[in-house]
Amino acid sequence: MVKARSIPGKIGLFLLVLLIVTFSIFPFLQIISTSLKYQWDWGNPSLIPTQINLDAYKELLNIGQKEKDVPQSVLNLINESDLTRQQRNEILTKYKDTSDVFPFMKYFRNSLSLSFLAATFSLLLAIMGAYSFSRLRYRGRAVIQRGVLFVYMIGGILLLIPLYRIAVALGFLATPAGTFTALLIIYLVQTLPVSLYMLGNFFRTIPYSIEEAALIEGVSRFGIIWRIVIPLAWSAIVTVFIYCFMIAWNEYLFASVFLKGYEQLYTLPIGLRSLFVSKNAIWDRIMAGSMMTAMPVIILFMAIQKNLTGGLSEGGVKG
Amino acid sequence: MKKAASLQQKEAMLGWWLILPSAIIILSLILYPIISNIVSSFFKVSLMDRDTFIGLENYRDIVSDPEFWKAVLTTLIYVVGTTLGTTLVGLGVAIVMNKTFPMRGLVRSLILLPYVAPVFSVVYAWKFIFDPVNGIFMDVMVERLGIFEQRFNLIGSPETALWVAIAFSIWKNFPFTYLMILSRLQAIDNSMYEAADVDGAGRWQQFRFITMPELYFVLGSIVLLRVIWNFNKFEDIYLLTDNLKVLSIYTYFKAFVGVIDLGQGSALVILQFALLIGFILLYVKKVLKW
Repeated sequence: MVKARSIPGKIGLFLLVLLIVTFSIFPFLQIISTSLKYQWDWGNPSLIPTQINLDAYKELLNIGQKEKDVPQSVLNLINESDLTRQQRNEILTKYKDTSDVFPFMKYFRNSLSLSFLAATFSLLLAIMGAYSFSRLRYRGRAVIQRGVLFVYMIGGILLLIPLYRIAVALGFLATPAGTFTALLIIYLVQTLPVSLYMLGNFFRTIPYSIEEAALIEGVSRFGIIWRIVIPLAWSAIVTVFIYCFMIAWNEYLFASVFLKGYEQLYTLPIGLRSLFVSKNAIWDRIMAGSMMTAMPVIILFMAIQKNLTGGLSEGGVKG
Repeated sequence: MKKAASLQQKEAMLGWWLILPSAIIILSLILYPIISNIVSSFFKVSLMDRDTFIGLENYRDIVSDPEFWKAVLTTLIYVVGTTLGTTLVGLGVAIVMNKTFPMRGLVRSLILLPYVAPVFSVVYAWKFIFDPVNGIFMDVMVERLGIFEQRFNLIGSPETALWVAIAFSIWKNFPFTYLMILSRLQAIDNSMYEAADVDGAGRWQQFRFITMPELYFVLGSIVLLRVIWNFNKFEDIYLLTDNLKVLSIYTYFKAFVGVIDLGQGSALVILQFALLIGFILLYVKKVLKW
């Protein structure tokens, strides 16, 4: 409806848009603002910090932390005497209060590797599976298709108890490596129905005539998947990969139960929460952590935004 | 003809082989757990010992616990509040975004941010905003507007935390409903509005008799999806406040915190799932008219 609007109408629309945008992004501004404030500045409702404080980011990224807790006299002594680098580091680590350091980078690596592996495996299986039920004809195909849709609707809490019991019974949770594997498999399970469903929908939009031509020329089905379907569906595959990555990156419920005894395996959601409940007066570090966990995901999504909006309206995303 | 048949068989075999890994994973790690969940809801479960069969006792314990009914009520309020809120806000935003104004592209991507950002990071911004000491909400309410006498922890008590949780969920999920509604709005044929203009129909009448009927099914499916997802919500609520006991959090505490009772947890999950399925069947029949 493109109609000429009156001046009050224009102002009204502008105010509405402004209200919607503020509502949407205010919490993000709050995150940036608080992560850059000193503690004495937190209660100040203004979003602009009185004085910029980068300590929270430095601490989380482990920049310049080595010498923070070391008394000045010791520092002077070390700098004056000619020790080797190794000896120097040894002395410094002794002073370092390890209990106070939030191992953000470690949690980041854990989250990254779990999400990346889960999304990769999920896609590999889903490309084969989705090709199978969108192109090949066999008995039971309809049942599989409907089953995928049904499974997609099932919430995590329904599977938590039985999967936990299975993991305990099979001895997965006895070792760190086993726990990591168990969680990886669970994330694979949680993302597989989504990838199957979305890729299946996409494969159906690829004209079959291209594949037929290749079949007549004697290309095998695997050749077709590799040389025709994957290149043609590349943007959809990237999109689905990012969805799966997101699901695993955000997962809290299973991680909180499975990783209970293994702090070295904590993912970011668990790590941030344990930081939040374990200490007081840490808003700056929590907010810096929020910022750095949200940024990669936001950047990924902005990169694929065109595909994203299409996928979303097909009901492709759970949330 | 024999050759064609064998080609068909070959194709079918290939189809089975390709779907097999996914099928095995889904069967063994989704369907089998659901069945084992149903079975263990009739047992007193012990991680060390053998389970003992106790019939319906887990279920009896649950329905005789007033806490359970409180959790059901809380869940109902949460689901109704969030679903209605998310749908209405999404509808309003979609109508605004369907108009033309400068920088529309930028605005459209900015308002996707709440949906895109991870729950576990944005939830702390909300906690900070409602923090009694530092948060801007209490500052505005107490210092600026004087609506409350003094600062208090809004997400500390379950009664008020429920409303913050609903607001958080609406903020987090409205971009999803907005996108679905917007794509339907854009598909409405403009000539209908033009015809209505000629007939002298006002703005409200156009909305009521053209826009709404066109949106009926998309709104219907949005409501269904949101009910399913919000009914099972865990993270969004638990990370905001762990003393707001909706069903999923109630179950989590029963099964994994304090006295661990996986048998009762299983029974709870079954009840929760049965409630949801019941609703879906009713809804699909009455509202979506399948």
